[in-house]
Amino acid sequence: MLRMKSLSKVYRTHLIETHALRGFDIHVKEGEFVTVTGPSGSGKTTFLNIAGLLEEFNDGDYLLDGINVKGMNDNARTRLRNEKLGFIFQGFNLIPDLNLFDNVDVPLRYRGFNTAERKERIEAALAQVGLASRMKHHPAELSGGQQQRVAIARALAGSPKVLLADEPTGNLDTQMARSVMELLEEINAKGTTILMVTHDPELAVRAQRNVHIIDGQVSDLVRRMPSLYDTKAEADSANEDQRSAVA
Amino acid sequence: MIRYYFLLGIRSLRRNPLLTALMVLTLSIGVAASVSTLTILHVMSGDPIPQKSSRLIFPLMDNGPVKGYVPGEKPNDHQLSYQDSINLLNSKQGERRSAMYGVEMSIEPSRKDIIPLTASGNASTRDFFAMFDTPFLYGGAWEAESDNKAADVVVLGRALSEKLFGNIDPVGQHLTMIGQEFKIVGVLDTWEPSPRYYRYTGRSAAFGVYDEFFIPFSTAIRHEITHDGGMSCSGDTEPGWQGRLKSECTWIHFWFELKSASQRQELLSYLDNYTSEQNKLGRFKRQAKNRIFNVMEWLEETKVVGNDNRLSAWLAFGFLILCLVNTIGLLLAKFSVRASEVGVRRALGASRKEIFTQFLIESSVIGLAGGIIGLLLAFGALALIGLQSKQLTVVAHMDWQMLGLTFIMSVCAALLAGLFPTWRACQVTPAIQLKSQ
Repeated sequence: MLRMKSLSKVYRTHLIETHALRGFDIHVKEGEFVTVTGPSGSGKTTFLNIAGLLEEFNDGDYLLDGINVKGMNDNARTRLRNEKLGFIFQGFNLIPDLNLFDNVDVPLRYRGFNTAERKERIEAALAQVGLASRMKHHPAELSGGQQQRVAIARALAGSPKVLLADEPTGNLDTQMARSVMELLEEINAKGTTILMVTHDPELAVRAQRNVHIIDGQVSDLVRRMPSLYDTKAEADSANEDQRSAVA
Repeated sequence: MIRYYFLLGIRSLRRNPLLTALMVLTLSIGVAASVSTLTILHVMSGDPIPQKSSRLIFPLMDNGPVKGYVPGEKPNDHQLSYQDSINLLNSKQGERRSAMYGVEMSIEPSRKDIIPLTASGNASTRDFFAMFDTPFLYGGAWEAESDNKAADVVVLGRALSEKLFGNIDPVGQHLTMIGQEFKIVGVLDTWEPSPRYYRYTGRSAAFGVYDEFFIPFSTAIRHEITHDGGMSCSGDTEPGWQGRLKSECTWIHFWFELKSASQRQELLSYLDNYTSEQNKLGRFKRQAKNRIFNVMEWLEETKVVGNDNRLSAWLAFGFLILCLVNTIGLLLAKFSVRASEVGVRRALGASRKEIFTQFLIESSVIGLAGGIIGLLLAFGALALIGLQSKQLTVVAHMDWQMLGLTFIMSVCAALLAGLFPTWRACQVTPAIQLKSQ
């Protein structure tokens, strides 16, 4: 689904060069739930931005759903982003003066769906995150956890192949974070590939696979972790292993 | 998507209402100032008879003395002498010909409840009415015979007719003018050409001043009714009315109506031959080039629209540009706080072009709002201008064209002001904005 080979990203100013990613290799399979961990400044967000076609890279290859994005112009990348990817951000990034319905509507508008299809998708997405009854509310009227659910609904409404989440629980308390994580696991169980950057080891171990980045390189590819549908014993055992690996 | 962006634009007006109000007000003041001055300029410089303005020709022949004449110098005088007017009336040139001069006559109403009054009118030939497409409420123009016999007939303007007779048809009745009985043959419907181009006697009389009645040119000459307007005389002039008629004094306006504008050259050749012949008879000693003007050229030549009007319009445009610069600053401020929204929209699939379109349409919504407020302000400004004088009342009114122009100008101004801020908004790097939230 998502493959990067020997990818590098360098930020240049007139004084310094910063190698955010170097020789970066990763392969995320369809339906996988992969968490990305690493210390601050290790290149996690740069990786996610490149994966999300929000930034260009300097060298290497990146194939998204079999399409090589290297050298694509801005319009083509925008179109691909709209069709294949969904985004969830730490700060929710909802548009404050649009109600929930209209917020979820944003990516669908750019996709060119007709009114009926948009309405159907929006209602289904909001229902999936448990907010169907609050369509006409504005983001400010919701809790942080609910806002993140709206952001998830917005990301899901276009039926993306890959969901990119940048610390989606970073602004939430533990209970809300768990609830959002459970929602992501549900979504993954239905077949959506999820790539999530997180600082939280507890959340990191809940994914099927954890990728650790240090100094712009993948330092550690941790083995497959159990999913929601594994038995509890398998999950406990796997989580224990994962915690030690991340630590 | 245009509708979607338009709705977003309307919604964005509510965001930051103070900034929005400031932008709309800035824009509307600039637009109102421009539209007010442009409206006046538009009315003043508009074609008063578009259906045939290119076929109505005013001839100008310089019969001034050689003394003090600098060859090539354009004469200030824009009228003809009586003898040239009569010669041109008899020339058979063009489809119609009309000589005219302004007259002022005393009127003794038949109704006892109306006191005697003085009215201003036009002494012209019968062709005048067909030539200038005057609308008749009752009756019609006098017969050609009336011109030939200098009959005491009159065509009243609607206002004077209603003043003297009320709302009845007075055709066939008689009216005592300068102590003579004039038969009323027709009443014009409201006819207020602005400017009064057919007999231009200065800018003060070009707007808001209309002829109240019309009598035959020959009748006015027979009654020795002096002209109401300017006269230019040079050389020795015999005393008395006959002396004036034989003199080189110029006090008569003359118009030809051609079948087509292409006959201009033919007419000019005729005039050149005419002045050449007259020169042999000892007249037209300056041998200056004859000139002819259609209606719009005539308005330009007589400077109906003065430089002060044009200067006002330019100043108003300057003010609009100043308002635009302010609007650009305000839009920059408005759009810069939307960087995060741009980042989100870009991440969710909006191309730069779509962001550009969205923000430009938002600018045009501000322009529309500015247009509505600007229109109200312009109406107010024009009403105030109209209060200054009767002439300004006539020109200070808005028509549909200017109404449309107000909105077009406002939207274009807003689009122009929005270009740079919109371009800046499109340069937002989504990744940075998304992380900074």
